[in-house]
Formats: sequence, C-alpha cells, structure tokens
Amino acid sequence: MTAPTDADRYPTLSETGRALLDRMREHPAAPLFRNTSGNRLTQNDLAALARFEADLGDPPAAGAPPAWVGQAIADAYAEVPHYRALGSAPARLADVPPISRAELARDVARFVPDSVDIQRLINFQTTGTTGHSLLVPSHPQVAGRYLAYHKRALARFGIVPRHGAGQVGVVLIGHQQPCFTYLSVTPQMSESGLAKINLHPADWNDSADRAVYLDALEAEFIAGDPLSFETLLGLAVTCRPRALLSVSMMLSAGLRQALEDRFECPVLDLYSMNEVGPIGLFDPALGGHVLLQDRLWLEVLGTHGQPLPDGERGEITVTGGFNFCLPLLRYRTGDHGSLATVRGERMIVDLVGRAPVRFRDATGAWRNNIEVTHALKHLPIAQYALHQHRDGSFTLSLSAGSRHQGDQAAAALGGLFGPVSLSLATLPDGAKAQQYTTDLAEVQ
Amino acid sequence: MNKIGPPLPAVTRRIAETPSDFLGEPRLGGYGAIAVDALLGDVLHGLGITPPLAVLAAFAPDRSPSQRNHFKLGAIAAWLLADEWLNSAEPDAAKLAEFLLTALEELAGQASAESYVTEADRREELARTMLARLDFRPEGESPEQARDRLSMISAAERARLMAASRAAEERAREVREALARKAAQESADKWTRE
Repeated sequence: MTAPTDADRYPTLSETGRALLDRMREHPAAPLFRNTSGNRLTQNDLAALARFEADLGDPPAAGAPPAWVGQAIADAYAEVPHYRALGSAPARLADVPPISRAELARDVARFVPDSVDIQRLINFQTTGTTGHSLLVPSHPQVAGRYLAYHKRALARFGIVPRHGAGQVGVVLIGHQQPCFTYLSVTPQMSESGLAKINLHPADWNDSADRAVYLDALEAEFIAGDPLSFETLLGLAVTCRPRALLSVSMMLSAGLRQALEDRFECPVLDLYSMNEVGPIGLFDPALGGHVLLQDRLWLEVLGTHGQPLPDGERGEITVTGGFNFCLPLLRYRTGDHGSLATVRGERMIVDLVGRAPVRFRDATGAWRNNIEVTHALKHLPIAQYALHQHRDGSFTLSLSAGSRHQGDQAAAALGGLFGPVSLSLATLPDGAKAQQYTTDLAEVQ
Repeated sequence: MNKIGPPLPAVTRRIAETPSDFLGEPRLGGYGAIAVDALLGDVLHGLGITPPLAVLAAFAPDRSPSQRNHFKLGAIAAWLLADEWLNSAEPDAAKLAEFLLTALEELAGQASAESYVTEADRREELARTMLARLDFRPEGESPEQARDRLSMISAAERARLMAASRAAEERAREVREALARKAAQESADKWTRE
C-alpha cells in the first residue's frame, strides 16, 4: 500500500480550493503544520452525504426503543464477529449485554461488521483518562456526517453556515503537545477552508503570530476545547467568528460567559465522543444537553446494569449511531447523567464525565461530585481536578490559565465542604486530567 | 453406546418441537428471564438425580455474558432431557453432567443454539451427541453404525467451524492492518475533534 497523496486527501479539489490551501499554508504568520490529512470525499461520497443530511430525522422520544433498534441488534448479531460469537440475536434490547471502552480496546477489529469495505477504513485515536487507548474505526463519509449534526446544533442558535469558496469555514484550535495539525477544505461547503492548529507556542515562529494568523483566516467558526479556548482568551485577536464550538471536556458556565462576552457570539457546548460522534448540545435555557442524533438510542444504566427511569442518575449508554464501521449496542460511555424530556425535547441533565465520586465534608457527611460541579460552575475555569486525600484534606489543581481563579474556587469549595484543608496546584500543560478522585473510596 | 435408546427420529422430532418457553432469553449477567440452572435442576430431580453442584454453578446467572449460547443450549437440553423414555432409562448422573457441561459447551461454540432446533443436520448432531454421551445408541443402529454416523456429522461440523474460524481470523487481521495503515492514521476531516 503506497503512502497517501493529495489526490487521496482531496479527491475533488478545484483550483480555487488549491489556492485557498496555499494561502493558508503560506501566510507569513502561519504555524508549523506537522501532519497531512484531508476530507477524502469522492463525488459518490458527497452525493451520499447530501442524502444523509436530507434524511436526518428527529432524535427518538422517550418510551420504548424505536423499531430500528431491533434491526440494529439483528444486524450486529449477524455481521459483527463479537456479537455473532454470542449466538442468535436477543429479541429485546434489555437482553443485550452492555459493553464498555475496555471491550473495544481489547480488539476493536471484532466490532467491525463483515460488510465494511476495509480499503477505505480510517481511524480516530482516542486516549481518554481511563488508560484504555483506542483506535476508533471510521470512514471518510462518517467523518463527513459530523457536519450535518454541527449544522443542526448551529440552527438552534439561528446560524446557518455560509462561508464557501475562498473563505475559511472552521479553525480547530488545540493547546497540547503533541497536536495533530493540518489544512484542508470542506467540499460540502463549496470548499471552504479548514485549519487545525495548535496554540501552543512551540508550533509558531513567534507566539504573537497566533493572533495575526487567526485574524487573517477570518474563520466563520472556531472549534476547540475549554483548554484551547482559555488560551484563545489570552490572545490579542480581533476576529469575530459567528460561533465557537466546544467539545471534549465540561465547559463551565463561567468560561462560556467569558467567551461570549469577548467574541460576542454563541458558544456551543457539544457532548461528543470519538466512538459516537456529537451526542448532545447544551441548552442553557432548558438546563441540559439536547440530543442531536436521530438514530442513536440512549439509556441510563445503574451500577448493576439495570435501566433507570427518567430523572435518575446513572451511566449514559448508547445504541446505534452513524458510524457504520462501529455499530454500537448498549455501549457504556463512562459518562454519567440522567435523561429528561423538557418542553418536548429529549436531553441529558447534569452530564458529568466519569463515574460519580463522593467527597467527605467537614462534618463527615458525603457530598457528590455533581455538587462540586455546581459550586464551581460560575467561575471561568477551563479545567480542574479535585482530589481528596486519605486524611480528608483536598488538592484542587487548575489549568495554568485558570490558576488565578484559585482563591475564588477555594472559597466556593469552602462554602460546600465547610472548614477543610485545601491546597492549590497547577495541572500539567495540555494534560487531560481525571476530574474527581479520592483516596477515601474504600470506606464509602 | 452400549444401551439402546429411542429411534433417532423420535429424538430429533422432540428437539424440533422445543416449546418457545425454552427458547427465550436465559437469565445471565442481570438480563433475561429463563433461569437455566433452576430449569435443569428440576429436570434432573425429575430423573431422580440430585443436580450436581458443578452443573448448577455452570448455569448460574452470575456467569459471563459470553456463556449465553451455552445457556440457551442448556435450556433446550432441559426440554430434551425431560422426555419420558429417559425417565425409565435411569441415566448415569456423571454422564449427564458431562453432557451438559462439556458436550453442550462444544456444541455452543459451533453454532447458535436455535440452529440446533431449526436445522435438520444440527438436530441430528444434538440428538446423537446426547445419546452417545449418555451411553445410548439410536434404536435400530449397531454401536458401530451409531459411532460412524456421529463422527461423520461431527467431522463435517468441525471442518465447517475451522473454515469459518480461519475466515474470521483472516478478516480480523485485515481490519487490524487496515487500521494501522498510514492512510488510516491520517484520518479525515471533522469540524470538531474530540
């Protein structure tokens, strides 16, 4: 198999698209682009994506699983080696044993259906905070489908993407070492530009170039995570994107407000994961993450795997999805929350990554980590990690850019826990940290 | 195969007529409704045999979900063993346990439990396996005939299984290699990256 060429990366690239790529790459303030990638979309793919977007339905309502779930179970037990080994397909979703990231990490090849053409397989690598590194099998069309859900999310704010030929549609910003960086165009948007850049100074000739380059691109949207947005807040940029899209981590209300004030545009807080794609969009007015996908069935499972009713917190578990290379049946995401229907919309309430952790307060009472989330949410903190030591004392670690919020955060936790010993620390640069940990777990 | 059992068609017919109650979802890992351990316990009691602890433990609901097909076959076996002829044949308890634990697990590794009910060849394999493991042969067959027929069916099934297993391994290897290619690692555009 030969190394990929630009013809593989941009099968439909026009002269205008090529010129835009050159302009983005050769700008005097451009960063170092360390990698190569592209949309990989052929004309056939583009036609299929147009049909996919046109056929997009509403997310499933509460109640019994939709009829397509039964077909998804039958298909998986017929075509997916992992499920075929379990025998015939169960009649009910409730009888399908859930899986977690650990099963996928063990041998993800056993979860790829026999019908998938492996010639065009791509992967998205994900590390997470659990130690199970995972290659998510995917396909250029699957990656292209994300845009349909981004459009749906933007539409909730009255925004229809309009940047096309010769303009930059989206800049994806990271702030980590190492970071996958490259340039591309989006053929579904008349070849608007896509730049994936790293705001870490190591990727730039001059760190002041970061603001110059971002302003020069005039992207319609900027996508990133709370850590890279925190860095963005510190740059002297004057660009005015139409929206910011935040994924990967919890976005605090405080940071959201700071970004909205600075850029005068909506900040979309997307709940999205490599294995599933965009699942929900936070709607402050409704107080939860509104579901985005029409062919994704959500359950909330208790600690013993039992489905929980609306309003009860448990592990978010998904079935279906739009990645035909990795059809999921009852995939336990590792994230927690409860389900609700508010004003007719299905949503996840109080979404928190990872399993619940309880902390002991000054009176000896146990407080759930969701209370910590609420106590700190008004502060513009990009990322924090709270750890309770064996002696009951706490360490609150803040991302470098949020370190100045330390005293206010400590005061807010004092209000929750009472007079406890709390020390402050700084998270390693660009690191993904497990948000809540305790040494007291064994006595709970 | 020293003892004479019922004619083979009588056994395969009973398998084909397995009631839907025995084909439901086995209770396993918190799911399903059919308690296979209890079901087999009742059947063994009915045959005058105290259910061996190893059998009850092997079909207990706390086993791994990967045992599902074995459990389903266990439920079908419960129906098969609750046959009148067996009641008067006084089967050996150790042989029964060996059939339920070892032979059924082997069969479960070869095909879906339902296929032993719906497909004629597999019905015959289940029927002959059960009779042979309990030291019976079908009425009208000599021990040699019964042995030959069972080994023929088993050999064909093993060959099919080996071919399927090789194909599955080959496919998994191809998928792993495809995922590791440079082109796959380059990935493709998404407007957001998790």
